[in-house]
Amino acid sequence: MKRQIKRISAAASLLALLTAAFVAGCSGLKSYQNTPDNNLRVRTAADSGSWFSTVRTAVDIHGVTVDCQTEYEGTVQLNRPTIDVGIPPNRWSRLVFVFASSSFLANRSGSITYETLLKPRSGYQYEAKVTYKDDMYNVAVHETHPSSSVSRELAHQDLRACHPNQ
Amino acid sequence: MNRFHRSATILCVLWFSGCISHPQTPEEFRKAVPAAFSAKVETFEVDRPFGQVANTFQKMGPNCLSKTVKTTSQTRTSYQVIVTTYKPTVLVTPKKAELHVQFHHDQGVIGVGKEPEGGYYLLVADASPVSQTKTRIDLYRPSMGHGVLIQAVRNWATGENVGCPDLTK
Repeated sequence: MKRQIKRISAAASLLALLTAAFVAGCSGLKSYQNTPDNNLRVRTAADSGSWFSTVRTAVDIHGVTVDCQTEYEGTVQLNRPTIDVGIPPNRWSRLVFVFASSSFLANRSGSITYETLLKPRSGYQYEAKVTYKDDMYNVAVHETHPSSSVSRELAHQDLRACHPNQ
Repeated sequence: MNRFHRSATILCVLWFSGCISHPQTPEEFRKAVPAAFSAKVETFEVDRPFGQVANTFQKMGPNCLSKTVKTTSQTRTSYQVIVTTYKPTVLVTPKKAELHVQFHHDQGVIGVGKEPEGGYYLLVADASPVSQTKTRIDLYRPSMGHGVLIQAVRNWATGENVGCPDLTK
């Protein structure tokens, strides 16, 4: 009996994995290839507030060219409380935080995004605090100087702040 | 169908029957709200200087509300996709800070009536100084649905639990 349950469980896991891979492939999402810097620590706390709904968080990372065009580089699923990500330093990147919620009872789903630009400085560490609670979300990015523990919150900037060749 | 879509449908039906016309400016919206059955005026004071409230409106309004959101809902017999674009406007003078929120359906809902530029008015929040430490808020807002948006604007005024509303809710 136990063996049978284990088999069913393994088959279900495999099916879930294949489905996730299929969905990811079809949706055009790809995993982000970290740079070695690991200069951005993302701390996530997301709670849908209900047994009958879920909220999934992720961050899409886009490179920003000198003429302010964006190029999708990949997605990091924020499925752990802390995840380290490497963002290329001395270059603008566009971080798009995605909050995707779904309600089982209402058969309803939706997603909302929060985007900000980040140009990491070499040697500096960055921390993004991503929260979702009571249907409210927040993203705050802090920068810490390499030789001190003092950090400052970075102002939100979207693509409108990008000026070609700057 | 959630509360927002129900109220949107009711509004559309009423408009068809000639009961209402859509306000075209924030001032028209303020005047229309007290007499509207699906909207109300909420007035309260917060223990926060006017300048701080205005700053929060300026920071959070564009960051949180310049959004296009997509929701899908499904039943056994229907599948509905609604795409909505929200447009915030913040105007600040030494004596008043105004937050206007408009919305426009890009997909999934048929627009009826003359839509103002930027979309139908959904909410207007006026902040004005009462004293050096207190600010009065007049919130012209829907009485059905949009609870998350309304709570977010209240929080921006009080400065407590400041965050962005999930506009898909």
